Amino acid sequence: MITVENLKKEYKLVKRDPGLKGAMKSLFNRKYETKHAVKGIDFTIEQGETVGYIGSNGAGKSTTIKMLTGILTPTSGKVTVNGLVPYENRQKNAVNIGAVFGQRTQLFWDIPVRESYNLLKHIYEIPEQEYQETIEMFTEVLNLESLLGIPVRQLSLGQKMRCELAAAFLHRPKVVYLDEPTIGLDIAVKVKIRKFIKEMNQRWGTTVLLTTHDMQDIEEICDRIIIIDGGTILYDGGLDEIKKQFGQKRVIHFELADKEKFELPSALNGQVEVLPNEEETKISLSFDHEAVKSSFVISEMMSMYEIGDLNIADPKIETIVEDLYNKQEQGEEHEKVLANS
Amino acid sequence: MRRYTRLYWEFAKSHMKVMMEYRIDFLIGVASVMLEQFASIFFVKVVFDHIEQINGWSFYEILFIYGIAATGRSIHQIFFDNLWTLGWQYIRPGKLDRLLIRPVNPLFHVVADRLHQDGFGQLIIGLIILGTAIPQLDLVWGAAEIAMLVIMIISSGLIFVAINLFFATFSFWMIDSLPIVWAVFNLSDFARYPLTIYHKGIRMFLTWIIPYGFTAFYPAAYFIDKSGYKEFALWTPVAAIVCCVLAYAFWNRGLKAFASTGS
Repeated sequence: MITVENLKKEYKLVKRDPGLKGAMKSLFNRKYETKHAVKGIDFTIEQGETVGYIGSNGAGKSTTIKMLTGILTPTSGKVTVNGLVPYENRQKNAVNIGAVFGQRTQLFWDIPVRESYNLLKHIYEIPEQEYQETIEMFTEVLNLESLLGIPVRQLSLGQKMRCELAAAFLHRPKVVYLDEPTIGLDIAVKVKIRKFIKEMNQRWGTTVLLTTHDMQDIEEICDRIIIIDGGTILYDGGLDEIKKQFGQKRVIHFELADKEKFELPSALNGQVEVLPNEEETKISLSFDHEAVKSSFVISEMMSMYEIGDLNIADPKIETIVEDLYNKQEQGEEHEKVLANS
Repeated sequence: MRRYTRLYWEFAKSHMKVMMEYRIDFLIGVASVMLEQFASIFFVKVVFDHIEQINGWSFYEILFIYGIAATGRSIHQIFFDNLWTLGWQYIRPGKLDRLLIRPVNPLFHVVADRLHQDGFGQLIIGLIILGTAIPQLDLVWGAAEIAMLVIMIISSGLIFVAINLFFATFSFWMIDSLPIVWAVFNLSDFARYPLTIYHKGIRMFLTWIIPYGFTAFYPAAYFIDKSGYKEFALWTPVAAIVCCVLAYAFWNRGLKAFASTGS
């Protein structure tokens, strides 16, 4: 379905010295620096897969998606989507793909949602009957009924995103790229959107490539994740494996009556790490979920201190990525040491 | 081609629905353009109240040139007005990316995204001016002349479109080329008067470099014998086609550059 081989993208950026003087200087004497946004990545995605594409801001996610959709031409390497090279056959490729780009709407701003869909019907040349069926189904799953007559600019963010999602799937594309589809939404809308994506994937076998910072999105929608950082792929594999590998770290925040007096209970020594916590009354403990049970940590703490409140934090995708990154760096150093010895 | 015609009609229908919904905006838009045009014609009228001719051109002949320019410009304003917004509406906020992943020609999409109501004011005023000027000219009007006038006006419109498209395309490299587009567009005001009243340099410039001369003066000269440009005027449709081809080729280059930088 999607194959990516040694894909690279470099940008040339104008290097500017700070201040007005720097700006003046760059007007006459330009120095360029090359930014390697994507540094030779490989992956293959089969029809019907749901893949989470994860990385911190500026990791190269959007650049990759732009190359997959054909908006950007790669510097080198190969991409094919459904047998087509996107940047060479952009318009042909467009028939097979749908996309939601975060906050950028694809609906027509001034006209009612229904009219927007009607225009999309003509743009994608969707047969009338298929269109009616699709709209009916979407209206039900996403609760669009009351929104269809309203111009897009009058919709709230959550309403807009639901309409947006329907627009991306309207022509029943083979692949859908979702770039942060749940950003800034409340829980109820997020749940509805996740359910919708899953249902479409099951019903039509739509391949989904999803970028998000919300771990919950990934857990509920994706069965595979690709983690990218600094333009290279750090991890590509099943969601369960990575959680086993990196997600056992738990953090519990305790609210103490007297933080000054705190000392790690001796039973927890060596297994639990105290994390810095800026709040005056709180301390945070981090530990390996496999080695120590949360209940044990909590009971030890309760027996020694007066606990006002506590809160168990889920492993965040950012922490997993960070962990991965550190591990990789350590691995490289380790290899260097081995090579030297 | 048939597909695009149908698609354009669908776009136009939804624009018209919006226009009808905001009736007051529509009327104000149309009226303000008409007022603006009346003001500049009034100025010409005042000049002619004091003199009989400018460089051999009578008031109604100048009005005729003016009328062709206004009508031609209305084609551009009604259907292609969105070219102005390429930089700040499409490239800067990333909206162009959206269009690029749809199975239609992106230029078509940008153009079809807007139908400009003010252009209708321009069209009405253009037709009124032509209707006033034509009976006063020493001309015999047959079917051939009318057909020629229509061709000339369409050519005039296309040249406006091509020039704007060409300069709007710079937005692909500089994010927003609106100031350049504006500066160039303002030159078209020169072309609403007989080019023979200007210095030779300006005349050459408006014929061969930025060919606004073909938007009004040359087309009008076809109908006015004494101009001495009757034959040259026949090149107007050719000039229109050449300009459109060049501008479109440049647009495609810009699009390609955009795809490799994605700025």
